[in-house]
Amino acid sequence: MPRPEQRMISFTIDGREVTAPENSMLVDAAKYGDVEIPVFCYEPKLGSPVGACRMCLVEIEGIPKLQTGCSTAVKDGMVVYTQTERVKTAQRSVVEFLLINHPLDCPVCDKGGECPLQDITFGWGSGISRFVEPKRHFVKPLELSPLVAIDRERCILCYRCVRFSQEVSEDYQLVLLERGTHSYVSTFDGHPYVAPFAGNIVELCPVGALTSRPYRFRARPWDIEDAGSVCTLCPSQCNVTLTVRDERALRVLARDNPEVDDGWLCDKGRFGYQSFHVDERVTQPLVRDGGQLRPVPWERALEQAAATLKRAGAATAALAGSGTTNEEGLLLGRLMREGLGSPHLDSRRAGSLPLELQRALGDPALQATTSDIEFADVALVLDLEPVDDAPILDLRLRKGARRRGLKIAIASPKASTLEQSAALEVRYEPGRGAVFAAALAAALGGDTRAQELARAAGCDGGGLERLAGLLRGDEGGEQPEVVLLWGERLTAGAQGAAGARALLAIAEALKMSATPGAGLLEVPLTSNGRGLREAGVLPNAGPGLGEPPLAGGRDAGAIAAGLAGGELGCLYLLRTDPLEDFADQRELWERALHGAGGVIAHSSFLTEGIREHADVVFPAEVYAEKEGTIVHPDGRLQRLRPAIARPRGVDAEWHVLSGLALRLGLDLDVLTAAMASRALFEAVPFYGGLTLEEIGGRGVRWQQREAASAFPAGDPGSPADLPAQVLADGSPNGDGDSGGAVGYRSLWDAPEVRHSPAFEFLAAERELA
Amino acid sequence: MAVAPALLLFDGIDIPGLRTLEVYEGRGGYESLRKALAQEPQEVLATLEASEIRGRGGAGFAMGKKISFLPKGAIERYLVCNADESEPGTFKDRELLEKNPHMLIEGIVIASYAAGASRSFIYIRGEYVEPALALEQAIAEARAAGYIGEHILGSGHSLSLVLHRGAGAYICGEETALLDSLEGKRGNPRLKPPFPANQGLYQGPTLINNVETLATVPSIVRLGGEEYARIGVANSTGTKLVSVSGHVQRPGNYEVELGIPSRELIYDLAGGPPEGRKVKCWFPGGSSSPVLTGDDLDVPYDFDSMAKAGSMLGSGAVIVVDDATPILDVALKVAKFYRHESCGKCTPCREGTNWTVKMLERIETGEATPMDLEIMASVQEHIIGNCLCVLGDAMAMPIGSMIAKFRDEFEDHIERARAARGTA
Amino acid sequence: MSAREEGAPASQIESRTRAARAAAWLTRVPRFEHGSRVPGWDEAVDLEKDPALIPDPEQVEVPEGLRREIEARMRDYPDRRSAALPALRAAQELHGWCSPEALEQVACVMRVTPGYLESVATFYDMLEVHPVPAHDVYVCTNISCSLRGADDLYETLRAAAGDDVNVRAFECLGACDIAPMASVDGTYIGPLSTADVPVLLDDLRAGREVLADRHLSRRPVADPRGRESSGEGHLGGGS
Ligand SMILES: Cc1cc2nc3c(=O)[nH]c(=O)nc-3n(C[C@H](O)[C@H](O)[C@H](O)COP(=O)(O)O)c2cc1C
Ligand code: SF4
Ligand code: FES
Repeated sequence: MPRPEQRMISFTIDGREVTAPENSMLVDAAKYGDVEIPVFCYEPKLGSPVGACRMCLVEIEGIPKLQTGCSTAVKDGMVVYTQTERVKTAQRSVVEFLLINHPLDCPVCDKGGECPLQDITFGWGSGISRFVEPKRHFVKPLELSPLVAIDRERCILCYRCVRFSQEVSEDYQLVLLERGTHSYVSTFDGHPYVAPFAGNIVELCPVGALTSRPYRFRARPWDIEDAGSVCTLCPSQCNVTLTVRDERALRVLARDNPEVDDGWLCDKGRFGYQSFHVDERVTQPLVRDGGQLRPVPWERALEQAAATLKRAGAATAALAGSGTTNEEGLLLGRLMREGLGSPHLDSRRAGSLPLELQRALGDPALQATTSDIEFADVALVLDLEPVDDAPILDLRLRKGARRRGLKIAIASPKASTLEQSAALEVRYEPGRGAVFAAALAAALGGDTRAQELARAAGCDGGGLERLAGLLRGDEGGEQPEVVLLWGERLTAGAQGAAGARALLAIAEALKMSATPGAGLLEVPLTSNGRGLREAGVLPNAGPGLGEPPLAGGRDAGAIAAGLAGGELGCLYLLRTDPLEDFADQRELWERALHGAGGVIAHSSFLTEGIREHADVVFPAEVYAEKEGTIVHPDGRLQRLRPAIARPRGVDAEWHVLSGLALRLGLDLDVLTAAMASRALFEAVPFYGGLTLEEIGGRGVRWQQREAASAFPAGDPGSPADLPAQVLADGSPNGDGDSGGAVGYRSLWDAPEVRHSPAFEFLAAERELA
Repeated sequence: MAVAPALLLFDGIDIPGLRTLEVYEGRGGYESLRKALAQEPQEVLATLEASEIRGRGGAGFAMGKKISFLPKGAIERYLVCNADESEPGTFKDRELLEKNPHMLIEGIVIASYAAGASRSFIYIRGEYVEPALALEQAIAEARAAGYIGEHILGSGHSLSLVLHRGAGAYICGEETALLDSLEGKRGNPRLKPPFPANQGLYQGPTLINNVETLATVPSIVRLGGEEYARIGVANSTGTKLVSVSGHVQRPGNYEVELGIPSRELIYDLAGGPPEGRKVKCWFPGGSSSPVLTGDDLDVPYDFDSMAKAGSMLGSGAVIVVDDATPILDVALKVAKFYRHESCGKCTPCREGTNWTVKMLERIETGEATPMDLEIMASVQEHIIGNCLCVLGDAMAMPIGSMIAKFRDEFEDHIERARAARGTA
Repeated sequence: MSAREEGAPASQIESRTRAARAAAWLTRVPRFEHGSRVPGWDEAVDLEKDPALIPDPEQVEVPEGLRREIEARMRDYPDRRSAALPALRAAQELHGWCSPEALEQVACVMRVTPGYLESVATFYDMLEVHPVPAHDVYVCTNISCSLRGADDLYETLRAAAGDDVNVRAFECLGACDIAPMASVDGTYIGPLSTADVPVLLDDLRAGREVLADRHLSRRPVADPRGRESSGEGHLGGGS
């Protein structure tokens, strides 16, 4: 579905000629002429306008009745008035109506000072009240969930929150009960409103009816500062604004970026900030001493780490995990390769892919953007559970299906929460994603072995054919625009390369590179997976997916085996704990950690693997303290900016890495974070010429810049021999120790969640699971 | 022109068994359908347009024009019959539904043919149990006889018909709220535009008409559009069922030719107020219409004359209030009804109806001052025209008219109630 | 002293005292304060409970008849959600009211959340969200009936009904021709006076046809010409 084109038209508002996009709603169009039309219920993020609050009434020439500016599309030559006596009377009366049952308890209201109702009353209200009757009373405030409190007296029944629950997150838990003046916002039979995205309702509420329990009474608007950054708690990389008071993060709000998050946050991102300021956080260097980790001065920790690394030399291995910036990845690569002569570093959880395939999958022409999802004809969700792997994509898929006729197809080994929105669902056996992908490629390519492959994947052959038909556009006749969202786990294990080749074959069959709006979108298993690969944190590739500076590198699985088998000596963990991050291969990694001659880790929390096995722990920054860049799954470089100061005792990772390198005799030549970024932009050819300014607050997709042509071409191989290969291998995505299948992990299974007091209520559930 | 020259809707309405297919067919039922199916849909539409029949549900929009607004092309179109009949004082559709359901079904099939609709629904208010049963049986009979279903009477036209029962909410009579309710949601009105003709049921083009409107269609087809248009007066063609209730001696439904003097309806047909009483005020079109007084009894009963008199024909429900009734009681009843039935979606209606009731109650209990009358009048003005649907107006217009026309009585009441309260 | 006693002509609309009105108000919103599991607007959620998602068919037992009825109704419409009202009505018939269990059962068959259904159920007057007696008597107390004494009728009925009849004041039931009237388990009966109340309740309790001579369905149309014109019809014939 091609995106609608925008044409500019001119119309007159309050006597002034204004140019605005055609068919935009009057309240938006008015802004082009610096005219503000007050609104309560209008929120384009929630879908088409409902026209419920009647705050936005305006006069339009030629129409006798006042019209709602939120739902009237602007047309060329329209003449609009927002300042006539008729309009003002209507506005004053709506404010009056809204306030007759409002408690006016602003002095004790958390919303005070940042409340649209206050602002609009001040700006458009009459200033006096003629209502002398008793007001509507509710007990207040009440808990709506462990995270949100509700004050029903303040509610102005704008429907934003229930529309979110019903039309955006589609969980249908928050509803309106009763009718007319008795209506109130509630849930079924006293159940709490707990859902992955429930926190968004706090931000949507234009009054103080829904408030964040963790934030309640922590600050007034004049006590706080806003700081924009990007959340790195998952690959969605939502843009956020942190509310900061006295160097503490007190709240996280969405910083709308239609190309990334569409203005929403998941609750992990919204409330996980609490983990920044807990006592459990590691805030000083630790060294194992007599079996115990003990705090030591930085100097001592660095010395010991350097000594350990030096001892292990080329037998050192390194892993980089979630929240690592591109710059840190680049520095880690140089430390390993140039400082220690070791080629063993990895950032992929799924094990390595041949470089040719890695490059082919990264082909700029094949990459879909996040917003492509919503405008596509079909989105195939393959070996991915969006709500857990990259929650915000779940909302984007729902939006596409609900508002733009997107057809969602799901191919997965387990039930998906998107089931109800899906046009088609196909199941295969766990761990057989690659085989399934090969079957799909075969079906699309008309290969006769498709059914045989389907059986090998444990999936229903009819379902496979239907899926192929949907992707080919058998119904409409034309090749639909398909966005294929896939999880990194598809390329895990022994069949991983086959999975990658199958994806490329599917892309080829669906003519993705020639179809604008179509493409592949990989969701990596770590939040900056794409960036770290592009920065060269791979055993078989250097920065920019170039040839590896040193050959013979081991991937994560082989590193574990090497450590367990004694071939490798030391393990360097940059923001990852294998026992957490490789939970599917726990047994192997336990042996590996036991076998390691030394473990050096950067970490914010003493998770099990670190607590039990690390010899040196550097306190790591949380994302709100970080400076650097990361890459969104669709190739958008985004900037992390320090919103709060690091606790005393915590140092920036790039600084620690360069300090260690110096001790190993290597001068990385970075004295500031900005220098590290510059080094990155130089090292990766397809980032060529990039600057931090260019990335700015909204990020920039490198594929849309000229330097993208420097991306190294890959070789997808021939699809013809794929079926034979896959059938001959017969193993699921990896059997055995070195490359097990990568399963699914709950959104809530993260140290930031475990360490945020707000999420304590989830603990019981975790114990049950 | 006096009473209708011939009854179209009530003719033989009490014949035993009329509600069965056998009797209905015996009286020439479904002949109009045969006649219509023998024509092109455009010809049927032209007939309906020529009849100039205006909707009988309240808004009085020309039926033929509404059909012509439906987008053409190979898309699924819907027809919905509005049998929610909840406007206070209105009970005309009930008589048709219960006693002559086949006439409605025949009208629906013909209208669906003209509109190119292939799925139809009757939304009947939940309280109408017996009419629903009559309809259900009639639908089953019609289906068995091939009047509904695939290739009706061997033609290319197919139509499904589902009877959908509401569950008690006046607002579901408003066409867009009805659609939401039919889709299984709370019955909240939708923003217009888009109008149902463009985006109605399940987002598809939808024709919505009242029971009486659709039940008239067979007669129009039988008579021919021009012939039908000769009944009544200009801009108000045809006969109309009128429900007369309240303080009259013979309350009930009457079929009259549009344009007869209202006095004839209230006095000659319904017998006028009880002995010794006079008409104090009357609602010409359900409780949503601004009240008229005894001085307006000679206004002709048709759409335009009622509008000119400052009220409206509405659903064709005349409620007569005699001079023994305090206007405050009437106002309170009306206001409370709309407060109870406001869906709560838009601000002026939800809050305005509530506030109005509270003010009226204060007048009753002697806690009001004449200034409150001012406020009440201005609240009505602030509601009118500012709501999402016209339910808010439906309270504000009659209440506003009562304050305007009976101001002295209200003021009197305020003073006396205050005095009584002071001495109590 | 009320205005009427002061000399204004007596009306049949009962001018009630503030206290009586307050009582009527309370009776109209009992759903807020009954002691059932349906939370009132003043109750917080129970944080111990799990979120109310679409019920798991493994966990919710649905009576077979109800399931079949709902499934049949869902087939009537292009979108299964359209069956919400028929499904809720069926559940109410079975359970007596739209109890949380009933809502969960419907939700389970319809694959929606029970919250969605509760939101729908509380919107409509005929769906009960608190336990009620088996028989429904809806007394129309809207304008036309009220002008003919419906408020008195309602108060009398309520007072006499006791616990086995669900007497409710209803908005216009569409039968002002038999004002004042009531719908007794769906049957329209009128005109009624307070004197009819004992008979009405006796008939109802005894399972007899209630006031058989007063059923609206047996009443001829008011229009005299409609009554007369019972000869051969002129519906057909294409004349
Ligand atoms: C609050 C409200 C209640 C209504 N109730 C009814 C009703 O009960 N029956 C009806 O036919 N139309 C009712 N209408 C009018 C409908 O919205 C719509 O105009 C009508 O069904 C169209 O049919 P018609 O053109 O045949 O009159 C109501 C309108 C409003 C605003
Ligand atoms: S709680 Fe807030 S967002 Fe929800 S309806 Fe009330 S005012 Fe609107
Ligand atoms: S903002 Fe337009 S009606 Fe609410």
